[in-house]
Amino acid sequence: MNTILKNALLPAIALAVSSGAFAAGEHSGGHHGGNAVGEPGKAEDVSRTIEVTMRDNYYEPESVNVEPGETIRFHVKNEGSLVHEFNIGTAEMHEAHQEEMQMMVEHGVLKGDQINYEMMEMDMGNGHSMKHDDPNSVLLEPGDNKEIIWTFTEAADLEFACNVPGHYQAGMYGDIEFE
Amino acid sequence: MKRQLLAAVFGGLFTVVVNAAEYNISVDRVQIDTGDFVKEGIGYNGASPGPVLRFKEGEEVTINVTNNLDEMTSIHWHGLILPFEQDGVPGISFPGIKPGETFTYQFPIVQAGTYWFHSHSGFQEPNGAYGAIVIEPEGREPFRYDREYVVQLTDKHPHSGDRIMRNLKMSADYYNRQQQTASDFFAESSKKGFMAALQDRMMWGDMRMMKADIEDVQGFTGLINGKGPEQNWTGLFEPGERIRLRFINSSAMTYFDIRIPGLEMTVVQADGNNVQPVNVDEFRIGVAETYDVIVRIKDEKAYTIFAESMGRSGFARGTLAPEEGMTAEVPELREAPLLTMSDMGGHMDHGDMSDDDMADMNGDDMAGMDHSAMGHDSMDQGDGASMPADPFYAKGSGLIPTASNGGKFLSYADLKAQNPLYEDREPTREIELRLTGNMERYEWSINGTKYEDADPIVLQYGERVRFKFVNETMMTHPMHLHGMWSILDVGEGKWNPLKHVISVAPATTVYMETEVDAPGEWAFHCHLSYHAASGMFRKIVVEGGPDTTMAEGTQNGQQGGES
Amino acid sequence: MSRLTASMCVLALTATALNAPAIAQEDPAKKTQTAKTFWGVSAEKLEYRYSDSDEELAVIEGDAFYGTDELKFRWLFEGEWEEAHNAWETLENQFVAQIPVDDFWDAKGGIRVDTPEGPDRVYGVLGLTGLAPYWFEIDTNLYVSDEGDTSVDFEAEYELLITNYWIMSATFESLVAFSEDREIGVGKGLNSTEVGLRLGYDLLGRSFAPYVGVVHERKYGDTADLAEDSGGSTEDWFAVIGARVMF
Repeated sequence: MNTILKNALLPAIALAVSSGAFAAGEHSGGHHGGNAVGEPGKAEDVSRTIEVTMRDNYYEPESVNVEPGETIRFHVKNEGSLVHEFNIGTAEMHEAHQEEMQMMVEHGVLKGDQINYEMMEMDMGNGHSMKHDDPNSVLLEPGDNKEIIWTFTEAADLEFACNVPGHYQAGMYGDIEFE
Repeated sequence: MKRQLLAAVFGGLFTVVVNAAEYNISVDRVQIDTGDFVKEGIGYNGASPGPVLRFKEGEEVTINVTNNLDEMTSIHWHGLILPFEQDGVPGISFPGIKPGETFTYQFPIVQAGTYWFHSHSGFQEPNGAYGAIVIEPEGREPFRYDREYVVQLTDKHPHSGDRIMRNLKMSADYYNRQQQTASDFFAESSKKGFMAALQDRMMWGDMRMMKADIEDVQGFTGLINGKGPEQNWTGLFEPGERIRLRFINSSAMTYFDIRIPGLEMTVVQADGNNVQPVNVDEFRIGVAETYDVIVRIKDEKAYTIFAESMGRSGFARGTLAPEEGMTAEVPELREAPLLTMSDMGGHMDHGDMSDDDMADMNGDDMAGMDHSAMGHDSMDQGDGASMPADPFYAKGSGLIPTASNGGKFLSYADLKAQNPLYEDREPTREIELRLTGNMERYEWSINGTKYEDADPIVLQYGERVRFKFVNETMMTHPMHLHGMWSILDVGEGKWNPLKHVISVAPATTVYMETEVDAPGEWAFHCHLSYHAASGMFRKIVVEGGPDTTMAEGTQNGQQGGES
Repeated sequence: MSRLTASMCVLALTATALNAPAIAQEDPAKKTQTAKTFWGVSAEKLEYRYSDSDEELAVIEGDAFYGTDELKFRWLFEGEWEEAHNAWETLENQFVAQIPVDDFWDAKGGIRVDTPEGPDRVYGVLGLTGLAPYWFEIDTNLYVSDEGDTSVDFEAEYELLITNYWIMSATFESLVAFSEDREIGVGKGLNSTEVGLRLGYDLLGRSFAPYVGVVHERKYGDTADLAEDSGGSTEDWFAVIGARVMF
């Protein structure tokens, strides 16, 4: 899983910018702290599609209702003029991911309105890269759209969020409420 | 404040419905109690600061200003885009408001965000004549919050503005109580050796410049919303809430470094314009700037809003608390910074310094700055490797701020427009403005000429002018252009942020571009009260445009008088 | 004293002229947005001196100005009141116009009227005042008296900041005459020097700073002889106590 790679990569990047401030340990939660978050779903299990629109810097809608066990297709489109993410996770997971996204900005992978895909693919050594391809999230340039199929295995305290630096803090997140 | 709906019918063909609001403001003599001293001053509606004016984007406002003073007054709506006759600068926009008279301002509100208003007459603003403006946008904000507070800062001084100006003219270091002393010298020489300490003193003494020349006017009490540190302005919240703090620096002379220990702040607006959110631990607010930040407080405890002056001679303090009376620790002031040879800029030629004392004068040039670089430029900085250099300070400057917790300190370079207002296009011409002065005489000027001896700067309606600020002094100047946006060049093209104040640090060159889209006559000046009054001021005349009748006849400058 | 009043009137008239706009043109904001004229009153020295020969003196050195950055009118007052004779040993009024000639230097020109006990003198004054490198405040003047005698004085002051409130000020003053004026006790050549060291404390901002100090006065050559002839001393040590005031 790419998450593991990224977690491994982090200290390497941290070293590259010669700051020891970041420790891998902080991120041990990773993206999959147990199954509470759910897991990538199969297209045939999809019960319904939820349209999510990204704007600068908020979502429409700002909350969705799901049932435990439900598999949902999120059709996410970016109608803003900045890059946005749609990421399903707990508040803690988002927080950890924000530091990774910060890194992407600092390394020029992520700019305000564009993603440097080439740099993302770039081999950072040891086969590591800054790819952003976790199954629980999509990262979209303005005008783009993508789908995520996600199975919410059990009720949990979840949010969908944009972890582009500053966006979450400014309020770009929504609640996933279990019925 | 009453709000009314006006319906106007034009020729029976169509109906225009305009939201309109009417406000009454009286300009009064007031008592200002800072907790440290009580001082007679000037306020609005019987208090200083005045009321928070809440406008709505798209409405037409009418503001009746009644002058209860025995001298002329005026109100300038700082940062608002409006017809120049409504801008409130006596002698440029209008004659001013006579004692006993009521002047009615009327203008449409065409923007949203946090702004402020203040007198543009004499030293009424430092004497207390200021208030806040909050404009609600037509659409939704690009961020969320549960409650909001205006946090308006000032540097209230026990002396009146006139007295301060006079004292500075008598002795430019009248208020400087951070000068280097004999005991500093001994401390320094035990650290780096007697000869080195002596040489350093000699070098500065030779040029008759002071390292401690950062804050001209010390001895003030920092106020938040009119309350001194002991009076402790408090904003209440419920744990879990997101709070929008609208910081406004209404100081006469003082830059503040602001932090809320224990909380990360997300900057969402600068000078009233939305910026792409930036998470910071601390930020510096120049005189007359505004920054809106969002904080999210999860736990049920109090937090201190701590605003240290840039030169550390004073501070303002307030509290965010779940209930009235709760307080948090108030940090100590950090050590006062000292200017370095890098901050010398225009004074370099006065002394004979070896080359390695010289700052890299190209280091501050913003043109073509490549932010897409992998960020490795921060690795070339030697000791400060963990911290990228702030391109808006001279390399090696003594004024480069750092966050007290070692975290992120906001830089101008972090400011990117959330939603560009203008198409990015090539400027039609460049005007160089050297910020100049003579500290010893307390004379401040632009291109070596004081306002009283200068021709206006003439711009043509429709052009996009690139202003090149070259700060040749050792002071930081917050340059304020009335009536038109200042597009600060942070090297981000169309994402360059819109501001109304551009702070220019010593020995740096900063560019801003202006779409000349407002006909008429405007003021343009350093917003440090005593610098503006000493001559760091210009009139700007915009020729042409949709309504030229008012602008003509009064202009007498030459084309591009400053270029 | 009537001469003094007349000069004051001239000063007041010129000062009014200063207020009128230079060119009757244009931009009214230049008036409303600019602080143009300033004034100040100060006394660098306001002290009581007690000498090693039990001589007691009251000394005032005052300064009042009005004007702009480009042109100031200054009234400089210097007086030494001698307790023993109940008389002004020195009483000097200077009325000068002052203009900047460099970033740190001003030129002065005007008249000086001396009306102490004894013969009066009127002088034409040309002076230079300013800040030299290493923070030395310098004031030097060339005087030509109504008797045709020429002299030069030179004053330097250095302020050492013990702290930002305890300030040690070192002063040096000297007078050189190019010709003799026996009537007022001036010999040719170096007349006198005065060296002072005062430790002050800024009690009320910079407006009131009490100090204590020592002053050494010495007369030289013919001037010393003239002083001895008239029963005066040629060298004195004083203990001083006083205050620096500034409004």
